Order: sequence, then structure tokens, then C-alpha cells
Amino acid sequence: MRSVHWIVLAALAASIWASFAFLSLNLGELLTVESRALMWKYVVSFFAPDLSSEYLMRIGQGTLETIAISAIGTALATVLGLLLALPAAGRFGIVARAAARLVLNFLRSIPELVWAALMVMAAGLGPFAGTLALALHTAGVIGRLFAETLENAPAEPAQALRLSGSPRSLAFLYGTMPNVVPQLVAYSLYRWEINIRMAAVLGVVGAGGLGQMLYFSLSLFHQHQALTVIIAMLLLVVIVDGASAWLRQRLVG
Amino acid sequence: MNIRLDQATLIHANGNRAVNAVSCEIAEGERVAIIGPSGAGKTTLLRLLATALRPTAGSLSVLGVDPWRIGRSALRRLRSRIGMVHQAPPIPPRQRAVTAVLAGRLGQWPLWKGLASLVYPVDIPGARQMLARMEIADKLFERCDQLSGGQLQRVGVARVLYQQPDLLLTDEPVSAVDPALSDRIIGELVREATTRGVTLVASLHAVDLALHWFPRIIGIRGGEIAFDLPPVRVTDAMLKELYASESTVVPTQDNLPLTVQSPGVRRKPMCS
Repeated sequence: MRSVHWIVLAALAASIWASFAFLSLNLGELLTVESRALMWKYVVSFFAPDLSSEYLMRIGQGTLETIAISAIGTALATVLGLLLALPAAGRFGIVARAAARLVLNFLRSIPELVWAALMVMAAGLGPFAGTLALALHTAGVIGRLFAETLENAPAEPAQALRLSGSPRSLAFLYGTMPNVVPQLVAYSLYRWEINIRMAAVLGVVGAGGLGQMLYFSLSLFHQHQALTVIIAMLLLVVIVDGASAWLRQRLVG
Repeated sequence: MNIRLDQATLIHANGNRAVNAVSCEIAEGERVAIIGPSGAGKTTLLRLLATALRPTAGSLSVLGVDPWRIGRSALRRLRSRIGMVHQAPPIPPRQRAVTAVLAGRLGQWPLWKGLASLVYPVDIPGARQMLARMEIADKLFERCDQLSGGQLQRVGVARVLYQQPDLLLTDEPVSAVDPALSDRIIGELVREATTRGVTLVASLHAVDLALHWFPRIIGIRGGEIAFDLPPVRVTDAMLKELYASESTVVPTQDNLPLTVQSPGVRRKPMCS
């Protein structure tokens, strides 16, 4: 190794040590016999999960709520994203393009959790806030992807239709859409998959669904019920990952 | 006059003078073939007639009107009367043949009909009839990416036949198709133009096709008209000179030597 590499390594080590010192983190404390015993006790306190039929009913309801929040949130985002993607792809002039891109960047740069916190304030606790939060952030992401897809789509089919007198809107639907629909569907499904996971988390700030149940049970020290919620979230994510991969393959292939 | 070009000039953005002060008139119902080496300006000339390009200088009138002096809705109505067969069919690969053919009348249909046809094709018999004329009626519900190049080209022609335009333009419609099929496609376009009495202007790469099917041949070279004659008066020397920049032989369908002097070549029955 050259001396430069040694200097870089030394600088890295120094900055890591400085960070620990600055934040007064003491990793050693995690490894003492006492803290290990405490952690073990906490983990054990989660078992066994609460599998009473009454609670499972509530879990089922929470799961459905999470799926519904993510589905409606993604659907709204797809519509809003497409509406913003058309101007963002430069189809209505340079000014509209810049404005739409600004809106998309704004929507995208605020994370779902922050949107959710804002929406809880605006719309109150519950699934409505979660749905709006997902819709707004996802519209920013999806709109950007849609705009790029539209910009990369071949222009000839729509141009040829306009040359035979077709109105602009129909030329777009007949000439451009068939080329971009698979991509749009794939992006939407992928974002839906992400949003189901996100919807499970959003509940922590009070936006409904499984996350809200997890937050309540942890705050009230009902660890058995918290474990049930965690298991339900895990199952949901595994099932959704599989289903989404299968669907995308079927629809886009 | 159906088409009139008056000193029409088109200079591309890169400064290339593709069409240089071309003047010519084409009457209603005429069938004209445009021949010339690649880069001579055939496509640009056709795109001028299709109102896809606006002449840099000079003027033109198509179907009796100057397309660049009328309003937007009038231009749209004019364009719905012009049908263009493109060299590469501009059809989305995932579209079904029936939808691709029906799209030919989007300029004539009211908006709701165009939207409804996306949900369910509104004129399946009409699309089938046009595909049948192209001998691919069995491909009606096939997706266009399942078709061969020749079949896809015929879907493109079927779309323009379905449009029933008053001016038929074709830009090297058969350059990617085998000779027997080329002959059938050109034959069908000529039949369409003759029976409906509409004007047909076709640019063709294969000179033998042009001489066989068209009563008027316009040769272009370097963006200018080299000759404008009926096929019987087009001589071997003229063709040799027209294509001098490209090669020593005149391009034909099978790359067989073309002897214009022999009447047998021109009168050979190519299609029943």
C-alpha cells in the first residue's frame, strides 16, 4: 500500500473515534453481563405471541387496513404521477416542464414519514392521513419515472397518427401509450410493494394500520401482542414480495 | 390541380439543402413514382407533401390548399385526407393489428369513437376487410410484435387503405419486402388509387417496380428534378446518370440488370 492509503485509513479511524467521543457512545456498556441479561429478559418477554382469536381478528383488520392504505395511496399516486409526468416530459412547453419537475422534486424530497406527520396534523389520526402521505410521496417518485419513460418512448407512432389528422390526445393514446404501459405498470407495482412495507411503518406516527397497532402495544408494554403484529408484518411482506414479482412477470413479459 | 409545388425548397436544420427549388404539378387521380439514389431528397419531398415539413422557401398546395396558410383545425382536417405509408411502419409493437388498422381513421372519427375503440374495436369487419386485401386477415387479433417484417408492413398499408385518403403517399413502402410481395403491395395501392380516383405519389427504390406500375416517373438527384417523363420515354442513359453517384447499376428488385430498351421488361406481367 502506498502512504496515501495509510493516511486515508488513519483519517477514517480518527473520524470514527471522534464520532463516538462526540456522541458519548459507549459500546462496551452493551456487552456487560447486566445489560445482556436485561436484553435477554426483554426479548423473552415477547414470547409467546398473543394468538387469541379476538386479537387475531384485530390483526386481520389491521392487515387489511395496511393493504388498503397502500393500494389506495399507490393508485392515487399513479393518477397524480401520470398527470404531472405529461408536462414534466415536456409535452406542454418548457415552462410547464420546469414547473412540473419542481412539483415532482418537492413531493419526492419529503419522506413518507414526514408527509404522514404533516397529514396527521391536517387530517387527524387514522388511515386517511397514511393514504395521503403515501400518495403524495409516491406521486413524486412515480411521476419522475413516468416522465423519463415518456421522454424515451419513440415519437414516430404518435407523429404518424397526427400526420393523418388524429387529435393530439388520441395520437398519444394510440401511438405512445402502448409503448409505455408495461413500464408504467411495472413501476406502479414495484412502488405498491414498497408502499405496503411503508404503510406498516407509517402507523407509528398515527397513520393507521398494523404500524399503529405495533406502536400502541409497545407503548402499553403488551409485548405478546407486539410480537403478533411483527409476525403479521413479516408474513405480509413475504407474501407481497412473491405476489408482486409474479404479477410483474405475468403483466410485463 | 391536386398538388402544386412552386420553387419549393427545404433546408434542414443542419444546413443540408434536401429539396432545392422544385416546381411541379400533379393532377387529381395521377399516379406518380419518384425515383433516385438515396439521399436525393425523395423522403423529404414526400414529407413536404404530407405536411410534415414546412418549406423553407417557395410554396406548395396540397389538395388545393396551402397547408401553412390555414388554421389548426383546418390543417387537421386536411391531414385526415392525406394517407402516408412509411418505410418503417410506425406501429407500437404491443398494439394488436386490428387497433393499428382502425387508428387510420382517428382523424375522421369524433373523439368519443376513438376512445371507445381503445376499449373494444368499433369496426372489426372494416379492419378485417383491409387486412384481407393485404392477405393477412388471419392476423386480425395478433399483436404486432408477433408479425414478420413483411406482415407488419402490410398492416401499415392496411391502415392507410382504411383511412381512405384523397391523397396516397408512400415512402419506399416495399424496400424491406421480398419482390413477389412488393409487387402485390404496390399493385393493391395502385388498384386503390385507380378505383377511388385518388392521387398516388410513391417513392420507390426499385426502378423496375416504378416503370411497371406508374404512368409518370419523376427522377430526382441532389434535391432537384432530373426528369419527369412517362416510363416509355425514360432511357437507360437517363437512369444510369441518375444513379451515377450511387453505383454503376440501376437498382432493381432482384438486382437483375434492367434493360429499358427491351419492352419485354416493362410489359412483363408481374401480377395477375
